[in-house]
Amino acid sequence: MTVIWTQTGIVENDPWTQPSAEDGPKLLPLAEALEHAQDNAPFGVVLQPADDVRALAPVLDRLILVALTFPAFSDGRAFSQAMLLRERLGYKAELRAVGTVLLDQIPLMLRTGFDSFAVEHAPTIQRLIDKRLPGIDLHYQPAADAAAQTPGYSWRRTALLNG
Amino acid sequence: MYRYDEFDHAFVAARVSQFRDQVERRLSGDISEEAFKPLRLMNGVYLQLHAYMLRVAVPYGTLNSRQMRKLGHIARIYDRGYGHFTTRQNIQFNWPALSDIPAILEELAEVEMHAIQTSGNCIRNVTADHFAGAAADEVADPRPYAEILRQWSSVHPEFSYLPRKFKIAVTAAERDRAAIQVHDIGLQLKKDAQGRLGFAVWIGGGQGRTPLLAKKIKDFLPEADLLSYVTAIMRVYNLHGRRDNKFKARIKILVHETGVEKLTQEIDAEWAQLKDGALKLPEADVAAINAYFAPPELAPRAEGWGELAAWQKSDSGFASWVGRNVAPHRHPDYAMVTISLKPIGGIPGDASADQMDAVARLAQEFGHDQIRVTHEQNLVLPHVALADLEPLYRALLTDGLATANAGLITDIIACPGLDYCALANARSIPVAQEISNRFADPARQADIGDLKIKISGCINACGHHHVGHIGILGVEKKGEELYQISLGGSGDENASIGQITGRGFGPDQITDAIETIVATYLANRTGADEPFIDCYRRIGADPFKAALYGSEAQAA
Repeated sequence: MTVIWTQTGIVENDPWTQPSAEDGPKLLPLAEALEHAQDNAPFGVVLQPADDVRALAPVLDRLILVALTFPAFSDGRAFSQAMLLRERLGYKAELRAVGTVLLDQIPLMLRTGFDSFAVEHAPTIQRLIDKRLPGIDLHYQPAADAAAQTPGYSWRRTALLNG
Repeated sequence: MYRYDEFDHAFVAARVSQFRDQVERRLSGDISEEAFKPLRLMNGVYLQLHAYMLRVAVPYGTLNSRQMRKLGHIARIYDRGYGHFTTRQNIQFNWPALSDIPAILEELAEVEMHAIQTSGNCIRNVTADHFAGAAADEVADPRPYAEILRQWSSVHPEFSYLPRKFKIAVTAAERDRAAIQVHDIGLQLKKDAQGRLGFAVWIGGGQGRTPLLAKKIKDFLPEADLLSYVTAIMRVYNLHGRRDNKFKARIKILVHETGVEKLTQEIDAEWAQLKDGALKLPEADVAAINAYFAPPELAPRAEGWGELAAWQKSDSGFASWVGRNVAPHRHPDYAMVTISLKPIGGIPGDASADQMDAVARLAQEFGHDQIRVTHEQNLVLPHVALADLEPLYRALLTDGLATANAGLITDIIACPGLDYCALANARSIPVAQEISNRFADPARQADIGDLKIKISGCINACGHHHVGHIGILGVEKKGEELYQISLGGSGDENASIGQITGRGFGPDQITDAIETIVATYLANRTGADEPFIDCYRRIGADPFKAALYGSEAQAA
């Protein structure tokens, strides 16, 4: 079963994953999302790794969710897509990781700007519930998270992963 | 050299506990073997033919004696008493128990070392000229920039799941001793007309099954823009590098298939957005990192000039060692000393725990506590007074470390091959040993002169056979080992990829074939001052093919 997790915990009744979300917001692939841009209702988009996130620029203000896909945990294109969305396009709403979302990649996803996670892997869900992410609080590079600049070299950052 | 501060210590400690947790979850079944594999690889742990292998990072090949002693200690306590220095300036331990690896990593952390990103599809250990900081011909020490890249690339959130591995090399001299043209990114530190430091940037070099030389995409990148520009390259590669076929996933294929002009435009467009952002390097930070690499205080030792001449006259063994293994330092009273890890008939790159201790001791006594690992699998003491060469030589002799063959035919690069490696198709080490034994005679080696033989046991080319003057590639054909020869490769500033001569040779024929090639060179050279590679470039492959294959060559 897929669980939606954010840093505040498991999300109950996520509108995007309800089976009968007939009148709820729509989650569209890129091409349809760009067409949908004609009407004014807010919507969500799910991108594949080969999609150019920059195509979303004209519809950004009506997007309330962008889902980026990890077709395999080893396919890291969505990390760069996330960086471009957050840093280049200035996207501020929810950014969700979907596909193969596993524990050891989630700290990297958080750093590149993801803030919600669709997780199926049971041991991963348990560790998320326990708030025991396997990351490192010290970083050698700026990214798209809220990590603070620390004294010393300009490229260093720190953030408390598990609060 | 760089010294860890609290931040670095805390980072490495956190990385060790992260790995310990990953191992525990693998053992409990919470991580599948498939998902665990890249996690262990990114921490240098391979599963080889007979055992786990741990590859420890030696950033840009720089070590101090305390670190070298620790490597010796690890070899003695956790391994079988030796380690293997690699073509990427790292060291591999071939026999550690998986359960000991967290403890080994903790021991390494004590001396500011780790195994981070020595494998995996991420930015690997950054390599540099092994004579950096001592060579007379460098514009500045390239290692501070390699260190900045090392820090920036450590557990990079965007670039840890790249299409394939990614290797960066830095040099600072026209004479390229870091083989930058066969790296994913090659950086040549240089000065512009105003004397400001920056880099010529090359991308898309690599060996493996599709050897390609790098293309220069920027003639001068100001040093402040190093990280933003490399980020732009990495981002374009991460998004667009092929992921459908692991053999076509390196950036060299992206460069080749996209075209260097179009790809450069994409990189420059990305860079334009990044260059004035958070990655811009402040001068103060560059200066602070540079300060760690300040050269040691080298007192005048002019007495060495006369002593050296006298010692050379009285001891021909010492004289030939000086002739091959000692190179000029930028300080006239000092020299850079290559400690050969290629004893006749030995295993290229192997060093015993006792030898590591000896090198550590000698570095302290004669070498200002500095040691380098070369990509040619030797060690270097970069700052030795001429006046100390003779006692150093005596001590090296005792420990079997005074082989006078740097750059000669027995200074062979070889990968571990089928004796250890799970990827190999053929053995490399016994081939290297047999060639070394065949050409053991020092007078004969001296007559042949500069000649680089490089041996890989499979198409992945860890033994750099594509850039060997003579390259040997082990393949498997119908269950038998077969060795293909290529000629004319070079990994220096005049880089070239070697050309295959023709059909391969069996294990019992390959040394004879090398002998035939050498004889052909000796017969064709204009004189002893025309080295093999120059002769080959002048006369081409045909005389060598004719000698190797006889009338077959005409038919083919």
